[in-house]
Amino acid sequence: MKAFAYLSPTTPEDAVKALAAPGTVEALSGGTDLIGRMKDYVASPERVVYLKDVKALAGIVEKDGATAIGAGTRLVDLVSSATIRDRLPALWQATTEVGTPQIRNMATVGGNLLQRPRCWYYRNGFGLLAMKDGKSLVRAGDNRYHAIFMTDGDALFVNPSSLAVPLIALGATATILGPGGERTVPVEQLYRVPKADADREQTLAPGELLAAVTVPAGVGKNASYEVRQKQAHDWPLVMTSVHLKMDGDSVREARVVLYGVAPIPWRSEAAEKAVVGGLVTRERAEAVAKAAAEGAKPLSNNGYKVALVRTTVKRALLSAVGDRYWQEG
Amino acid sequence: MAEHENGTSTGRGGHSRRRFLRGSGLAAASAVLTSQANVALDEAKAEAQAPDGPEALSGDVTLTLQVDGRELSCVVEPRSTLLDTLRNRLDVTGPKRVCDRASCGACTVIVDGDAVYSCTTLAVSCKGKAIETVEGFETGEGGVPHAFHQHDALMCGYCTPGFVTACKAFLDANPGKEPTLEDVKRGLDGNICRCGTYIGVFEAALAAAKTMKGA
Repeated sequence: MKAFAYLSPTTPEDAVKALAAPGTVEALSGGTDLIGRMKDYVASPERVVYLKDVKALAGIVEKDGATAIGAGTRLVDLVSSATIRDRLPALWQATTEVGTPQIRNMATVGGNLLQRPRCWYYRNGFGLLAMKDGKSLVRAGDNRYHAIFMTDGDALFVNPSSLAVPLIALGATATILGPGGERTVPVEQLYRVPKADADREQTLAPGELLAAVTVPAGVGKNASYEVRQKQAHDWPLVMTSVHLKMDGDSVREARVVLYGVAPIPWRSEAAEKAVVGGLVTRERAEAVAKAAAEGAKPLSNNGYKVALVRTTVKRALLSAVGDRYWQEG
Repeated sequence: MAEHENGTSTGRGGHSRRRFLRGSGLAAASAVLTSQANVALDEAKAEAQAPDGPEALSGDVTLTLQVDGRELSCVVEPRSTLLDTLRNRLDVTGPKRVCDRASCGACTVIVDGDAVYSCTTLAVSCKGKAIETVEGFETGEGGVPHAFHQHDALMCGYCTPGFVTACKAFLDANPGKEPTLEDVKRGLDGNICRCGTYIGVFEAALAAAKTMKGA
């Protein structure tokens, strides 16, 4: 790890000032992503701004039916919150299995949302697009954990945030502080698909700080279902979060968002369209799951993810309406 | 500190393998520091200070940490992890350096009541926090280390300090409850044992929980 100057502001205003000063800078929270990247020289900032002493960034607040979650809230506090468990099960289910107990004690909501991709080419210094001599190392190499949607492009990594997926399904917004003041965007707008190696996959401008995410009032039925290779120490292979607003038993409005299939959290419009206007039965869930997998173009080693898309979409939908048939007998 | 030295001494002239390794490692480290890091540090110092923001720490920083109830001081750089600071500067060698990437759990310590990976925590961020390591644990009957001993919960022993620490943090976080085997598995799944003595570890954790509940 290269030497850096360390700043530990205690107010959001000072944090923004520290982040906005000239030179390369990284925000440090739980450290579970950044410190590893610095040790591997994937990141070598001149300044590190430690955000966990900014107490105003942590905490879960209920107001007028909306739930505001400070970016500095630790994952363990999200998991132990009855509000999150009961009102936002999609978010709770996606958080309980993140990393390990130690990681959940350290890691924060903001850090989870803004962690950099786990693509092993990126982590070994080949850049986000992992191109060498004009050819994609990902396409030619081991791409078992890479994208199956948007694979016509050059960005083949998958977005690594387990929390982004349920938050987008729940229609959450992100509050961003910066030198120019505060702005609010939908959580999905935190991410973009990089076109060149110099592009970032995140949209925060230099000096900006993610302060909170807010799930608006009027939450419908919601759930997440994920498939993992290992039960701990890992990211999901594929996860689906669903959010259904109902008219009686019929779906009026739906969001279906997938993890592990694209360089951004993947909203399946096909699945959303297919589920609206009827009951969530096992037959319909299966049809919606099939629609979600349509258009997938897997790489050489990750065709298995197409089946995982179908399974996770189907089970997340049924879980949202209380039918967990896979847990029976 | 003296107690640990006695424990690892070879008894021949008071030299120990640990003391020798520590000495040679420091010599090598300071050689690297003088040649490269100082230049980089001076540059970082010059650029670091935000015009009117909070103060920046860089270069050598004098740091006092609260470790197992003692106040211990040392000089570290901001980039030093808590693990390296404990082991190399403060002679608290209970937490082990294995993966150094928040993946194995051997470096687990308890900071303000929470088990964390000390290899992935900066020492400067732990100022003013209560740090508990395996070295401060009660080793008599009823303690977690005793339960590990009684249930043969180690083979090579390298993961053991981390497991004992994670186990104590897990049991302390759930006082008065007797966990199920599933609870214990989940509570300890931040640690890895490559010898595979998990069965012994789980038995030790369940036994320690029982003893602590009875106490």
